[in-house]
Amino acid sequence: MDQNIGQKRYKWRIITGQVILLLACLGIIEYLVRSGIVGSLYLSKPTQVVEEIYKLFADGDIFHHLFVTLKEFAAGYLLSAFAGIATGMVLVLVPHAETFFRPYLSALMAIPKVTIIPLLMLWLGIGLSHKVAIVFLFCFFTIAFNTITGIKQTAEAHLKVARVFEASKLQTVVKVILPSAAPTIFVSLRVSAATGLVGALFGEMVASKDGLGNLLVQSTSLYDTAKAFAIITIVTVVSVLIIAGIDLLEKRIVLRWKSSS
Amino acid sequence: MAGFLISGVSKIYGGATPTESLQNINLTIQDGEFLSILGPSGCGKSTLLEILAGLQLPTLGEVSFDGRKLKGPGIERGVVFQDPSLYPWRTVFKNVELGLELRGVERKERREAVQRYLDLVGLSGFEHKYPHQLSGGMKQRAGLARALANSPEVLLMDEPFGAVDHLTRLQLQDDLLKIWEADKKTIVFVTHDVSEAVFLGDRVVLLSPRPGRINRIFEVPKPRPRKRDDLGLLQIQNEIYAALLEVKSAESLEFTI
Repeated sequence: MDQNIGQKRYKWRIITGQVILLLACLGIIEYLVRSGIVGSLYLSKPTQVVEEIYKLFADGDIFHHLFVTLKEFAAGYLLSAFAGIATGMVLVLVPHAETFFRPYLSALMAIPKVTIIPLLMLWLGIGLSHKVAIVFLFCFFTIAFNTITGIKQTAEAHLKVARVFEASKLQTVVKVILPSAAPTIFVSLRVSAATGLVGALFGEMVASKDGLGNLLVQSTSLYDTAKAFAIITIVTVVSVLIIAGIDLLEKRIVLRWKSSS
Repeated sequence: MAGFLISGVSKIYGGATPTESLQNINLTIQDGEFLSILGPSGCGKSTLLEILAGLQLPTLGEVSFDGRKLKGPGIERGVVFQDPSLYPWRTVFKNVELGLELRGVERKERREAVQRYLDLVGLSGFEHKYPHQLSGGMKQRAGLARALANSPEVLLMDEPFGAVDHLTRLQLQDDLLKIWEADKKTIVFVTHDVSEAVFLGDRVVLLSPRPGRINRIFEVPKPRPRKRDDLGLLQIQNEIYAALLEVKSAESLEFTI
């Protein structure tokens, strides 16, 4: 009991300290900009950023851009998740497929994705499909490779149990192999959620008509630093929320049965 | 006759230096018999069990069950594994349900069977636990229930109590005998524990290592319930220890280490 209270007190002290440090940093920035030591072109006052965020939501324009970005991300991400898991499964479960296709996959993965964004523009224009393709390329390979690794981690003993019960191929995949691979697949789903969002934003910054990335480029080209910071803050919150959503999904599907203290 | 007929079975693992794991095993396992297979590590006893399960095929010779030649695994032969190999992502209930689920047995029937076997092995109340929340002994009970739930004619058990502490082990032995006496399924029980082999079995097959061969077969004619300190049982144990010593002295030094 005592130890529990001690731990709680410790936790609160840490949190209080962290909040104080954050406020201090913001305060220093506020002071630096207010006093003119740093020009408002380079940094902006935290109070003004908050005001900008309020303004963005107040005139409602942000919702359109947010929706566009989220739509691009969601489409590309879901597509890459399905395709990545399916590709990984086919490569491991079809005999010799992985040995045959691995060099191709590795070579494709090695291409820095940003270098083909201009080409994609040529092929797909600057609309939704362009961004979906970018998000897909940012996520697909990680998910496919993690699926391969995950499937290979299936315990030999667990497969033996399935054989003893005369499980069919399909049953073995659905009831043994996929659950075994799930934790490894989830790791890649979490990592690619972050990179996928970066892909959507970057695509928008390079060529687009709308979306948060587009809005960001607009504001910086108008030297509206406060607005830029406001958008960066919003994007960060979106990213955190997406990852929290995936963590929640993982908890419901995987962590329930994983041993944790 | 739902027993095994093992004739001339050898198992050779290929590779750069082929090793003979089993050599010319001839053995008849009677219907309803409790047979212990005993031997030191490396004598191929697990390989023999996997051959009976149909998980491996013999290199030479053949095994028939119920008069038919074995070609692979079958639900009439239930297996209890050394490491119980429960699926960590399934609850105890769902693990025991696995065999029935794979066979497409109706949900209601499945539930009844699972509950019956969980009660039988003493796991009622633990239905919704995950394997990592169970002790070693409870995991083995769940593994046993999983095999039983499919109503096999034979139970093949591969050192099932090897990893649990001694007292739990004695309890598991008693419970296994109780279950066996209720419906007299054939049980083939692989172990490296002499007293366990003698206490449980109608017969004890002693294997010699490298390559695994049948050294001797000991009859254990004592009626059940048996007492662990029964002089007759202890005498058979002593004979087996003596035979093991012969096996050891005949083998190289490497084996004694």
